[in-house]
Amino acid sequence: MKRYHLIFNVLLLFLLPLGGCKKMLDIDSSRTVKEENMWNALEDTRAGLMGIYGLTKAALDDNNAYWLYGEVRSGDFESPNRQDLKAIIKNDLKANYESLNALSNWRRWFAVVNAANIFMERAPQVREKDMRYTENNLVVDVAQARFLRAYAYFNMVRIWGDIPLILNSHDGNFENKAKEDRLKLYAWIEKEMYDAAQLLPYSYSTGDEQQIGNYYNETSGRWNGALVRKLSVYAILAHLAAWQANYADAASYSQFVMDNYNKAGSYYLSTSFLTDGNGFFFEKRSEQMFSFPYIWAHVEASFTGHIEELTLATPVVNKSVPDIYMPKETILKTFNEKKDQRFSIDTLGAPTTEVYFRNFNGKYPIFSKIKCIMGGSSDPTFRIFTSATVLTRLEDIALLRAESLAVLGEKSTAIELLNEIRERRGLKVYSENANGDLVDAIFLERKRELMGEGHRWYDMIRREKIKHDNPQLAQLIANDGIYWPIAREILAQNKLIEQNTYWK
Amino acid sequence: MYMIKKRYLDRLVLLGCSCACYSFAFGQDKVLSPSDSLKLQIGTAKLDSIFQIKTSQVNPVEINKQSLLPYSSLAQYLKGNNTGLYVTEPSGEPGTKQPMYFRGISRPLLSDIDVFQNQPLVVLDGIPLVGEHPFAYAVQTYNLERIGPATNLLANINIDMVKSIEVLKDVAAVAMYGPNAANGAIVVRTKEYKADKSNRIAVNMYTGLAERPHVTTINGDYENKFRKQFYDLYTSNGKYDDGDSYPVYLSDSLNMNYFGKSDWTDSYYNNGLVYNLNANLSGGGPRANFQFAAGSTQDKGIADQVKLNKYYALFGLNMRPMTWLTFSMQANITRLDRNRNLNLRDRFAQLAYFPDLSAPLSPNKEVYNEYLSYYKKGFDNNKSNVVQGYGKLQFDFGNFHFLSTGMLDYNEGYRDQFYHSKLMESNNFASNYYGYNQRAVFDNKAFYDWNINAENKLNLLVGNSLQWDTYRYNYAYAYKGVNDFIKVNLLEDDATKSNYLEATAYPKALIFKYLDRIRHNLVSFYGKATYSYDNKVETSLVLRTDGSSNAQPDARWIFTPSLSINWNIKNSYFNTNTSLKELTARLSAGRIGLSNVFDDFAQGPNYVAQMGFTGNQLIAGYNAIAGLVRPYESGWVGYNIPWAYTDQGNLGLDYAIQKKNFHVSLDVYVKQTKNQLINIPSYSEYGYKSSYAAGMNVQNVGAELTIGLDPVQTENFKWSTALNVSHNQNKLKALPNGLDRLVIGNNLLEVGKPLDQYWLLSNEGIYKTDAEVPQGMTYNAIQLRAGDPIWKDQNGDNTIDDYDRTLQGHRLPAVFGNWYNNFVFGKWDLGINMYYNLGRKLINQEMANRFDFINNEGTKNLDAIKEITYWEKRGDYSKYPLYNPWSTVIAYQADQDLFLENASFVKIRAITLGYNLTSLLAGRTQAIKNAYAYVSANNVATITSYSGVDPEIVDYTGYDIGSKIRIPRIYTLGIKVDF
Repeated sequence: MKRYHLIFNVLLLFLLPLGGCKKMLDIDSSRTVKEENMWNALEDTRAGLMGIYGLTKAALDDNNAYWLYGEVRSGDFESPNRQDLKAIIKNDLKANYESLNALSNWRRWFAVVNAANIFMERAPQVREKDMRYTENNLVVDVAQARFLRAYAYFNMVRIWGDIPLILNSHDGNFENKAKEDRLKLYAWIEKEMYDAAQLLPYSYSTGDEQQIGNYYNETSGRWNGALVRKLSVYAILAHLAAWQANYADAASYSQFVMDNYNKAGSYYLSTSFLTDGNGFFFEKRSEQMFSFPYIWAHVEASFTGHIEELTLATPVVNKSVPDIYMPKETILKTFNEKKDQRFSIDTLGAPTTEVYFRNFNGKYPIFSKIKCIMGGSSDPTFRIFTSATVLTRLEDIALLRAESLAVLGEKSTAIELLNEIRERRGLKVYSENANGDLVDAIFLERKRELMGEGHRWYDMIRREKIKHDNPQLAQLIANDGIYWPIAREILAQNKLIEQNTYWK
Repeated sequence: MYMIKKRYLDRLVLLGCSCACYSFAFGQDKVLSPSDSLKLQIGTAKLDSIFQIKTSQVNPVEINKQSLLPYSSLAQYLKGNNTGLYVTEPSGEPGTKQPMYFRGISRPLLSDIDVFQNQPLVVLDGIPLVGEHPFAYAVQTYNLERIGPATNLLANINIDMVKSIEVLKDVAAVAMYGPNAANGAIVVRTKEYKADKSNRIAVNMYTGLAERPHVTTINGDYENKFRKQFYDLYTSNGKYDDGDSYPVYLSDSLNMNYFGKSDWTDSYYNNGLVYNLNANLSGGGPRANFQFAAGSTQDKGIADQVKLNKYYALFGLNMRPMTWLTFSMQANITRLDRNRNLNLRDRFAQLAYFPDLSAPLSPNKEVYNEYLSYYKKGFDNNKSNVVQGYGKLQFDFGNFHFLSTGMLDYNEGYRDQFYHSKLMESNNFASNYYGYNQRAVFDNKAFYDWNINAENKLNLLVGNSLQWDTYRYNYAYAYKGVNDFIKVNLLEDDATKSNYLEATAYPKALIFKYLDRIRHNLVSFYGKATYSYDNKVETSLVLRTDGSSNAQPDARWIFTPSLSINWNIKNSYFNTNTSLKELTARLSAGRIGLSNVFDDFAQGPNYVAQMGFTGNQLIAGYNAIAGLVRPYESGWVGYNIPWAYTDQGNLGLDYAIQKKNFHVSLDVYVKQTKNQLINIPSYSEYGYKSSYAAGMNVQNVGAELTIGLDPVQTENFKWSTALNVSHNQNKLKALPNGLDRLVIGNNLLEVGKPLDQYWLLSNEGIYKTDAEVPQGMTYNAIQLRAGDPIWKDQNGDNTIDDYDRTLQGHRLPAVFGNWYNNFVFGKWDLGINMYYNLGRKLINQEMANRFDFINNEGTKNLDAIKEITYWEKRGDYSKYPLYNPWSTVIAYQADQDLFLENASFVKIRAITLGYNLTSLLAGRTQAIKNAYAYVSANNVATITSYSGVDPEIVDYTGYDIGSKIRIPRIYTLGIKVDF
């Protein structure tokens, strides 16, 4: 009897675990957040919004793309031993290098677009679920997402020309889309940006009437320079208009920036602040009108994703040969005026300043205007960098406005703006006799002032469209050769996409 | 494959043959009377007989021979000794991972995660061992080796404690292990306890030497001359273009660091001491007995002083307080310490930082020694603790039995590193890793033996098993500590200070920390019915249903049946034939579920913290606030992901006769693995790099043959020979979404084609002049010119691109196995084991890198890093035409058949010579029951046409980069004594 009792107990033991089965098999991953657990609270929108910023930074800085597109392709720099960079300089953009392939791939920009689309679709749900998420917070968030999406398109249009326009997340229901005409995209981007600008504040957590209270419960120190503001949008709008040679609009958008910059903590920079290792480019600054920072104190420093990785070498950091350098002749041709605080030489041919270039008389002059090494130190031993990816600043917009006005014939205001910059860099005021044609002088000033900030290639194209004096570049513009080829992976995945005509 | 079947071994022993050690070490293998072994007596072994499979249905490894060899991991013991199981040894560095593939691969080997998903299950005394989960690759910028000690955890199995190793072929037998065993099951059983009331001791030891290889070294002069050929051909003034610069280290022929003596080998290569010592003590009686074993092993490589030290202990206890109740437990503890290689690429990959690569290591011994001295000022400690244990309660009520088992497999790894600042441009580096993989299983089963009558027997079993897997790690590293004396990350411990708990020795901004955890639970219910008729036919039906927490909620469970039939033809028709020893036909077929490895798939569409980019992957937020985005980098995960499963069928025939002891065993199988997930590059316009889709089907078919005989059988001389041959062919049967081809990285997967092929351009020489280039012929839109390779335009469209790549060669061998010979002469015996791989190819990327020096001089490419072995003359330079290395078509890209080489080989893997000392010693003392002394030589010779170092030393990619340490040649001297 006892024995059967035991058998019964044993069988009971055997059946016991069955009840706990479902519980055992339902486990929430600690590595991912599933759909049900997202878009419920304030923290989710914050994470979603920061995600869009993070993706934009990744798209800009992957393989140092921002500088390869904007600086290296211009041909102002040379590369001693990186064959892929040599290919870019030679406009041989289909060469068989991994980095060129990555640069031909627009996926990272579409990740920004998709993240922004999801955000705009889902953030309103959080407004319903979480009382802490205010209407104002939602409006400002969506405006940022909207701008970042438009900015992604602006970049893609400049790099690839025609691209697909995708306005929904299509979550789980992805369909291939064909390219859209770039003219239509320009109009769409402009409208999106303009609308976003109307809803964005001049700054965050500072009592701006369009952004009430502390943004996401963080003080202004947190947001300074890190997020998109009203003037960021106007500055990019000015660029968008100028890129289309619509200088009337460029003038009016830049006017807005020039009229309001003091509301946003933007100022003209001194040469030393511009070039200090812990100056303007270091971490985040309100003077960075639109930028993506790498914050040293928050362990965001990185080895790649900075122009320093390309340009710096001995004696600035311990690296024998830079990836790119500016040949001496190019430097002398560019910095052709005396007493330029950025770079000039004395009568003996020795540099009078080393803020832009070190090792000028060596084999490789080192372009070291931007040199945020670690926490802004001058220690050459460890090549980890903290410079922000700065997309625009006041000087850029001032010169862009000067350019617009010069083209529109308002020379005196244009000269005034040009001189604002020249005087701050130790140069004499502009004179046609000494400095030549005004448009040329403005573009030369842009080249000197914004060197290494990713503008040069686009400047060259805008200049050519005004001046028509470089047949080779004119040819490239006419044949759409200024665009990049589309990566093979993209063409393989989406049969609706055709290779850009120039690269067929 | 020393497939001399157990039952014949007794005879061999009687003949005083090679298997002398068998008789002492495995004496219990003889047919035992019920009281001989507690396990048998109490039914445990019988219960295990739910897997009671005959020798021919498994692939037994002959332990006694294998235990003579100085191997440190289970994989090495298994290599070549089984049909069907292909064991790789991608490095000769002791303690590194050695992936195994049973009956081919079920998914393409595109990453370490795919390798992990192809691994067979190892079961140790019923415990399904948990592997090291590859999820940690997510925080690695470069995934050369998993963070942590990355030690081969199968090094914990010690052959002297092992009774049997079986690689299961029978599908129903494999199915009993469920989804864990979808890629095969290797069943290891440790020795049983002696239950004859006599305390017994066995001692095994060997010591030996891993021999330093002798190589030809080169210096800068050699490299200069090599490069000069290209400059002579393609430049007029030693400069290809204005921007071209010759590397500084090769520019100055007076620089003795590069142009002096090249004698670095004295410091790089070394002889290594290997040893093993262990003892096994068992005692007790039929109602209670125990076993205790402990030992230590050192396995040492021949370069960089790499080695593996093992310390291990095993303790087992059986108790039978009532006639109907048995309790048994066992714990197996191993400590693995590893000295790792000093390769630059491994270090830079971990640091994610590339120092200035413009000056490689100097081939001069003095300079190299100075460099090595800085390694000694730091440390790289790799420790793993591996514990397995079980506790079993068994109830026996007549023919009804109930067994409840709790099992635990836990392994933890530590890696603590400090690199002196001189090793990296005056920046030191410290890192700490701690991680564990843990599996707990609670298994209950009941079975009933029903002897219907003398002829008909039925065995019924039902069971339930709950399995909890947890994987976790903490990892932190820091750069640029204050000095080279503080080697750990110190924190302020004064609670009153404002910087309490903040780092003091390393800058806060340069300390990077990661932690992660992943879990997987598995619930299984299973049943089995075995029916046997008159020793003629035996059939087993296994039904099981498994639920996995990594499966999506609406597809949690999978039901899978398996059936196995054995037909003993001899007993049926030739019962009286005395010359026929065995004739059996076997058939088994069934399905086994294949669970997901990652928990993301159970979640459906999800959000992750992936905002990084090339070289800076690990960005989890923006402006120091965490961000969440769709998994654009790792791939979209949708709904409707079903269970993957594998359908297998096996047909076998065993035949053995008395004459010359001839035996042959043949198996043919087909394995279809279906519904597997694969990450397909897609949805670029939605930001995704790829998306996961289910529906990849892979077929493996193959045949396995074992054949053996004793050509000579005389009183005092006996020769036994046996050959095993395994053949496997894999084929992609379907891709998801109806795709018929898929390009992933430099691999092409094409439906109807094998999975393990290289996708290469076909090289047909060199264009000597521009005029030779066909009009308009381009490579990816780049005009081909003189000095560029003639790549075959496969589709005739006058342009060379991906469509001109074809699938060529195989990464896995078409045929492999070994050939074993054993000679016995009196008390002497000599064994020679040869291992072969045929029909396998690899890419000699080391040579591609050498020729592609123009592109490799400036890039931050891991594969292009010049290790110290850069100064070793390797390969055959004359095989390659002198292309223009500056050409942007990259003339020396590795993905062309120019670098594809035949990697077939035959190795004399082991020679052993032994002498049975028993009678010699027994005269002096009765205590010694058995004694056997032997010498062995391992990895004696390789016959191959491969021009690189060793065709075996290559990882799953099949691209030989040449930086791995070679497999050593080891000589040992050993003795086994049984008291």
